[in-house]
Amino acid sequence: MFSYVVRKVLLAIPLLIGVITLIFGLIELSPGDATDRFFNPETPPEVRQLIEQKWGLDKPAHERYVLMLSNLARGDFGRSIFQERPVFDIIWEALPNTILLSLVSLLIIQFVGVTLGTIQAIRQYTPADAGISIVSLFFYSMPRFWLALMLQLIFALVWPILPSSGMTDAVMHDYMSFGEQLLDYAKHLLLPGCALGIASAAGIARYMRSSLLEVIRQDYIRTAQAKGLPESTVTIKHGMRNALLPIITILGLQLPWLFSGSVLVETIFAWPGMGRLIVEAIFTQDTPVIIACFFVFTLIVVAGNLLADILYAVVDPRIRYS
Amino acid sequence: MSTPKLNFPLLGTGLLAAGALTALLACSCGETPTGPEATTPAGERFMGNGRGNEPTVTELGGPQDTLVIGFQSDADILMSVVYQSASDSHVMSAIFADTYNASMDCELTYEPYLADSWEFSEDGTQIEMKLRDDLEWADGKPITAHDVAFTYELIRDPNVASPRLTYTEYMAADSPQVVSDFKLLWTFTRAYDQITMTAHTGMAPVPKHRLTDADRSTLRGHPLVREPLFSGPFKIDQWLPNEKIVLVPNEKFTGPEHMKARLKRVILKILPEYATRLVELENGSTDVMEAILVADADRLRREHPEIELYRRGWRSMDYVAWNHFDPVDYKAKKADAGNDLDWKTVKPHPVFGDKAVRRALAKAVNVDKLIADLLTSETGEVYARRSVSTITPALCNVHDNDIQPIGFDPQAAKAELEAAGWVDTNGDGYREKDGEPLAWTLMTNSGNARRAKGAIIIQALLKDIGARIEIETVESNTFFERLRKKDYESALSGWSAGLFVDMSTMWKSGEAYEFNFPSYTNPEVDALIDQALAEPDPAKNSLLWKQVQAQIYEDQPYMFLYWMDEIVGVNSRFKDAKVDILSPFHELSTWWVPEDEVKYAR
Repeated sequence: MFSYVVRKVLLAIPLLIGVITLIFGLIELSPGDATDRFFNPETPPEVRQLIEQKWGLDKPAHERYVLMLSNLARGDFGRSIFQERPVFDIIWEALPNTILLSLVSLLIIQFVGVTLGTIQAIRQYTPADAGISIVSLFFYSMPRFWLALMLQLIFALVWPILPSSGMTDAVMHDYMSFGEQLLDYAKHLLLPGCALGIASAAGIARYMRSSLLEVIRQDYIRTAQAKGLPESTVTIKHGMRNALLPIITILGLQLPWLFSGSVLVETIFAWPGMGRLIVEAIFTQDTPVIIACFFVFTLIVVAGNLLADILYAVVDPRIRYS
Repeated sequence: MSTPKLNFPLLGTGLLAAGALTALLACSCGETPTGPEATTPAGERFMGNGRGNEPTVTELGGPQDTLVIGFQSDADILMSVVYQSASDSHVMSAIFADTYNASMDCELTYEPYLADSWEFSEDGTQIEMKLRDDLEWADGKPITAHDVAFTYELIRDPNVASPRLTYTEYMAADSPQVVSDFKLLWTFTRAYDQITMTAHTGMAPVPKHRLTDADRSTLRGHPLVREPLFSGPFKIDQWLPNEKIVLVPNEKFTGPEHMKARLKRVILKILPEYATRLVELENGSTDVMEAILVADADRLRREHPEIELYRRGWRSMDYVAWNHFDPVDYKAKKADAGNDLDWKTVKPHPVFGDKAVRRALAKAVNVDKLIADLLTSETGEVYARRSVSTITPALCNVHDNDIQPIGFDPQAAKAELEAAGWVDTNGDGYREKDGEPLAWTLMTNSGNARRAKGAIIIQALLKDIGARIEIETVESNTFFERLRKKDYESALSGWSAGLFVDMSTMWKSGEAYEFNFPSYTNPEVDALIDQALAEPDPAKNSLLWKQVQAQIYEDQPYMFLYWMDEIVGVNSRFKDAKVDILSPFHELSTWWVPEDEVKYAR
């Protein structure tokens, strides 16, 4: 297992370099740069020159590329051109928020997806199965940004029971008791968490249904039923345990979707995370921030996949990595 | 979505964005708001309802209530010398003592703030300025003339790369001179427009005692930029990046009573998405929203009587720029000659190089219809007026109101095109000249629904006179880059208004003026601009600028479309809300709430 993990980590290095190279190339191909925001019709040419020199933008692209890679190799993300402070600090402010939101979304995906898939499998070919299938397909097909806007409209305006933005109540949070503050966090997580997770939950429900249907046709399930075990025990204890194995792998693969989805969802719900950071960095063409964001995203995705592989081996004793 | 490229603030901490206009290129916030003949929803004119007789904080019995503003983007750099964005400017105007208290009444006017009094010398080249002696930094040190002089020392230092370097262009190298702790002498190399001269001395000072040893090349990264030393009526209580900035009254503010904050808290809630800002304004989570779309104004007025809608009059404009040069030839010659390129050597654009054609095109586009379709609400509220100049009509002393807009007259347009040699020789409905079709590309930026619709209307109207237009929508950064490089034929773009007048950046000829997107060349205009810039007498100055505007309109380098109002929604419990062309939240310290309308008791 250890050598497998080491091999995977080493394989991630060319992947990271590939992603960074691709992003750097795309930024280079786009016109203008971050320093454009410093200029207005009155900005003297000498000021422009100085700013460009300061950020090394007067150097050829290949020199900047090599410099960037060597800095990244030393763990130096550089400084944001626009905010002129360490990119590490900026990412450190945003990353925990995105991780929190992603974890909540994963929980929603897992809970809703597995529950619905299980109901469908148990009630195969009933109206409940068909109904859930239609609803799942509806949400699965829905763009996340549209779902986010609809959730916001329904639950924050038409039926105002949930907050529409931010991580906490901007006005009252500081005056709340600890318990109220926790509840406040939970309420603020609900809409973005759902907007981010519902579509994936619908997909998981489909996987769960087919996986469970496959499992409950196995001989050992029939044996359990023949022993006279209650149906719930047979399904949950014996059936679901094995049916969940492929779901774990799929959950690991959800991470890229969660991070790409967070770009839109965080912007709509004003969630101060990595998704929003990357949108703003792209608009301002703040290259060091963009590169660092993608670096971190790639790392997390690689780590997520690795975690899924490890979990798979943990939950399924038949799996052995060598 | 809307991260306006180069949409610089107009005012903040006494800082006026340099230049006549600043670009509004990537902004999708454009569906904003009227004509001089239209009445505002609140029955107010464009200066907001600040009456200047609001109760003081003592009369109110202490600061009351919390104001929550839906802010489009977070602040980044809170230092006057190097700040960049409108958000920076809004925050800075609340937490720093400005040199002047600016307001707008046909022109910028300045009232004392840090500067207690100032006087021009007889020849107009010197200003003697006396500072108040009772204003202090948050650490208890007085704000002195040394701080002001140091601020300008920083601006001049090339290592700082201050965007405001041009403020010192006509200042003597040793200006301002410190006469005493609270007295300064500003010396200029020449007298020019006094409003602009005053503005150039109006930079909010930075604390010299905290920055003397700072590395000037990394000033934007200095700790004071994010943890500023307050000197204004508010201070920052909490700053959660990309989430919110909480301002509370600065209890150490030693300024006069009428400048002290009347609100207990001002929360700038960062909401990048328009739909979210609108939902929050409607459900009461926020109290202020800027840049409300025309399409939403009627509904807000109907469904939310508690929200008062204000207009920031003639804040931004749209136009179609006609590139006078053949873009391919320009590119080739620019590559050879660089900044030494002589514009006379560049081949003119086959269509737009001809003034008669440009004037004919202006007659073919029904601008009133554009305003009716794009900037008029369902109930008939008009949120724009025709433009004839890049000077905002809000500067009514300088804007030339005598220019008659070219009327919609497609028959005359056709006749003039024919006279210019553009005739439909093959009967396909489109005109040709010397075998070349009357066809071109109209470029505009993505993410702006108003311009996208406008481009389609213009395309249809020009088709009626035999011109074939292809619309090209490009990403905002690309759009701006191509305008600057003159890599386009025609472009539907816009500007936001600057409030002191310098038309040179946009209209003087030569490679030094890259914001002259159409490559407009008129030696008479060049000379008039130089004269106007050097003319300190307001009446003569105004006359010269009007001549410039009239000549440019006559030449039609742009198809001038409209000036728009920006709609700002404010919860009506806030009294004396100053929403004006200077800022959507001007002088926050004077906003107040009557006791019986207070929403947040703590």
